[in-house]
Amino acid sequence: MALAFDEFGRPFIIIREQEQKSRLRGLDAQKTNITAGKAVARILRTSLGPKGMDKILQSPDGDVTITNDGATILEQMDVDNQIAKLMVELSRSQDYEIGDGTTGVVVMAGALLEQAEKLLERGIHPIRIAEGYELASRIAFEHLERISHKFEFDGTNIEDLIQTCMTTLSSKIVNRCKRSMAEIAVKAVLAVADLERKDVNLDLIKVEGKVGGKLEDTELIYGILVDKDMSHPQMPKQIEDAKIAILTCPFEPPKPKTKHKVDIDSVEKFQTLREQEQKYFDDMVKKCKDVGATLVICQWGFDDEANHLLMHRNLPAVRWVGGVELELIAIATGGRIVPRFQELTPEKLGKAGLVREKAFGTTKDRMIYIEHCANSRAVTIFIRGGNKMMIEETKRSLHDALCVARNLIRNNSIVYGGGSAEISCSLAVEAAADKYPGVEQYAIRAFADALDAIPMALAENSGLQPIETLSAVKSQQIKENNPCCGIDCNDVGTNDMREQNVFETLIGKQQQILLSTQVVKMILKIDDVISPSEY
Amino acid sequence: MTAMLQPQIILLREGTDTSQGKPQLLSNISACVAVADVVRTTLGPRGMDKLIHDDKGNTTISNDGATIMKLLDIVHPAAKILVDIAKSQDSEVGDGTTTVVLLAGEFLKEARPFIEDGVHPQNLMRSYRTASYLAIQKIKELAVSIEGKSLEEKKSLLAKCAATTLSSKLIGGEKEFFATMVVDAVIAIGNDDRLNMIGMKKVPGGTMRDSFLVDGVAFKKTFSYAGFEQQPKKFVNPKILLLNIELELKSEKENAEIRLSDPLQYQSIVDAEWNIIYDKLDKCVKSGAKVVLSRLAIGDLATQYFADRDIFCAGRVTEEDLQRVAAAAGGTVQTTVNNIIDEVLGTCELFEERQVGNERFNIFSGCPSGRTATIVLRGGADQFIEEAERSLHDAIMIVRRAMKNSTVVAGGGAIDMEISRYLRQHARTIAGKSQLFINSYAKALEVIPRQLCDNAGFDATDVLNKLRQKHALPSGEGAPYGVDINTGGIADSFANFVWEPAVVKINAINAATEAACLVLSVDETVKNPKSESAQGEAAASAMGGRGRGGGRGRGMRRR
Repeated sequence: MALAFDEFGRPFIIIREQEQKSRLRGLDAQKTNITAGKAVARILRTSLGPKGMDKILQSPDGDVTITNDGATILEQMDVDNQIAKLMVELSRSQDYEIGDGTTGVVVMAGALLEQAEKLLERGIHPIRIAEGYELASRIAFEHLERISHKFEFDGTNIEDLIQTCMTTLSSKIVNRCKRSMAEIAVKAVLAVADLERKDVNLDLIKVEGKVGGKLEDTELIYGILVDKDMSHPQMPKQIEDAKIAILTCPFEPPKPKTKHKVDIDSVEKFQTLREQEQKYFDDMVKKCKDVGATLVICQWGFDDEANHLLMHRNLPAVRWVGGVELELIAIATGGRIVPRFQELTPEKLGKAGLVREKAFGTTKDRMIYIEHCANSRAVTIFIRGGNKMMIEETKRSLHDALCVARNLIRNNSIVYGGGSAEISCSLAVEAAADKYPGVEQYAIRAFADALDAIPMALAENSGLQPIETLSAVKSQQIKENNPCCGIDCNDVGTNDMREQNVFETLIGKQQQILLSTQVVKMILKIDDVISPSEY
Repeated sequence: MTAMLQPQIILLREGTDTSQGKPQLLSNISACVAVADVVRTTLGPRGMDKLIHDDKGNTTISNDGATIMKLLDIVHPAAKILVDIAKSQDSEVGDGTTTVVLLAGEFLKEARPFIEDGVHPQNLMRSYRTASYLAIQKIKELAVSIEGKSLEEKKSLLAKCAATTLSSKLIGGEKEFFATMVVDAVIAIGNDDRLNMIGMKKVPGGTMRDSFLVDGVAFKKTFSYAGFEQQPKKFVNPKILLLNIELELKSEKENAEIRLSDPLQYQSIVDAEWNIIYDKLDKCVKSGAKVVLSRLAIGDLATQYFADRDIFCAGRVTEEDLQRVAAAAGGTVQTTVNNIIDEVLGTCELFEERQVGNERFNIFSGCPSGRTATIVLRGGADQFIEEAERSLHDAIMIVRRAMKNSTVVAGGGAIDMEISRYLRQHARTIAGKSQLFINSYAKALEVIPRQLCDNAGFDATDVLNKLRQKHALPSGEGAPYGVDINTGGIADSFANFVWEPAVVKINAINAATEAACLVLSVDETVKNPKSESAQGEAAASAMGGRGRGGGRGRGMRRR
């Protein structure tokens, strides 16, 4: 790459190692960037909707992931192109903020880029296009608000929430039992939600999976599930009305943190030391017993001697429980984490109605259920499935559903799915376009066309005739003045999404439109790409 | 070719690149113009962005002149001057970095024909300096002061300045939104010179409209230990204790060793250690603080201890954030927990942990001394937020400048056209060569409106002629007319609130003239061979490959 030449046609060396750098500028740069962005969108296009297909992704280590979650696909694709990376981040930020609609946002951006390319060829200034898009996105944003519906829900009436979550899950591999999954997700979110502050901390929902069983066995546990077993095989497997001591100190003689050394120079001293140690164990177990604990959960391990003593004193124990789980147990049971034995008091014990160890199938795997807790602000979703990939995908799908439920708690407005919202916006934008003088009008119209890409892809993926179906639905929307008409992906027989109960969250849709516009603007604004040539 | 046969006197080390005389000067000018061409298209509201991808794989998408110049990694000695002026403009006023490079490039371009015709560079330089002096006088004369207005009025005026800066950036679509935010932030920190009192936090996700301003401090939730979730997450009017000590159960002294001969003493040592940490924790609790922040770690023990007593704590808070909390809440950072008196505790109206995107944020708002503000930026991609941060930085600098100097001029190329007209008029009164030079200086200033038109895809010549006509009106009413970026015509920039602080223009003209003069005054470059032989070889082989037989320096001497 050379910026300038002297009178003999030799390049000046202006930039370090300029021979090895490549530069693309002007329309070429924009076209290359658009092509890259479109390529990414094309990959995801087939994953959209209830009949969307999954992708199999193999990592360099040979791990296999099967998913149709846009964010996950892009994350694992390990793209190298800079513009493609922007698309990856686009999908990621939709994931962070909303959790759902990660595929749709990329497809939308791809469609916008495709339309922009056509306008660029007509010689429209890229920034005028971007500005037109921005105007259009605002129109669409407001239009969505207009066609949105609010629905009320409370602790008992959760049907609408479940329906919305079902829409999300219907595109996933788990759609076989989406009803039960959606129920689980909604109940879990409601259990941990702070309805007053409209805040949901998803950290309090633990998602645990285990290979085996079938998907239908997936359950919601109002309490905690720990992938551990009782420290001694002879300990009782079931404890009712358990009082739980939650300890972060090991069952062993305490050690000062300062470097230390015990000098033993006689048999007597050795004996006392031994006795002391014995006494420590005795004391510890006794203290637990004294405060009334009937179960000990310990962050660290304890050796066989302590184990034996615990067994002897009839005090069941669980060892090596991770910090996060410990915290969740403490929250769920209303107990306090106790850092040393001296501080154990009856008030600090957690309470659970039932603690049981459960063995699975023919394997020796056991897990501990802590249920009927005093405070059920921490819950666990326990996923069963035929294989590891299935469980992983179910986890991701449930995450999406959880996010959707959370968003509804934050903002209870919904729009109708199945591409109906996009079609309605497209019509609104199209109608508004004529009011704008200047070049932007073209860009606004292009935006309306781009909005059609989502229902089009939905129809295509469902095996329908995309153009025919879309135009039929569009005309139906106008004729009946009904913004709820969408693509009938599941062949139910009606186009009215209200009857089909296909809902999406308003903020999710709005976010999709705004985010994709933003990224497209960024891509359009670039007219100069300077990069080392190996890329 | 006869010169080649003469015995060469070797004065400098082998490989040294020497070039001199007029050709050298011309080649320097070409290099500078080439660099100015790179940033040319980024000017103005319809300016484009550059994507620069460096060797380490970092990607930057930017519209900011200084950032682009820095990332280009320019090695040409003369062209480097342009990088420096862009940087100095950035640190001095924060905005107008593209303008300054463009102006310098244009001054040099105008000088080129004169140099080719044999004018002595010193003559040119002298005229350029006079012209820049006159231009600056004129700007000062034309500037409108916004001093003495009420706060509300001033706020809206400052927002106009910020909006002008932001209009050329990626976040231009939401310029009003961000301009108000920036003005609020700058007014919040008052006359404090410490810019780091405005914190910027970047959270990917969401749209840029989700960005918000906290009239206090916000930072990401720090690493937390088990027990954290049991702490309360919302306080009204809490007392805040700021610490710079570790609250962890660990050995007090690193290299101490305890020898025990009696196992019975064992327990006492253990207890002693526990007592030390409990004593510390107890003092924190006794101070009455409800929020405890520390720059160093707060261990799991302490977390649980505080959770038991309904106190919120966060360890490993970054130094910057801690300082900001101290400034906002009015506390002092303590290095010990002894003797904590009420005065060292800060307070704020509301403390809350809130979900922002995928992260949880600790937000302190409604701080009494209110000398800090935090902008939480949201956006669809990392590069997007990075660029937004740079743009906001520019806007913040502009607002601060405007607040201090409180004079503004009309943007959109209006002020440049006006100076240009004034200089032309002035030039006619001068006899001698200088007239030509000042005329060319005046012509160079027109590059700003011309480039604005070019970038927007308008017919530059047409617009410029309209502007010249307007500005030439004897009544002087055409002075604030600049390019109307929306219609492709001309408009009164001042009335349309396209404003920039006068100091930006003054500094830009000054720096650009200085740089142009500097490049013009050079007539010889002595470049030592690279000490890293690898680099030299790479360059040499590249040159050899072109079949020119030898470096540029020797080629020059041959002429």
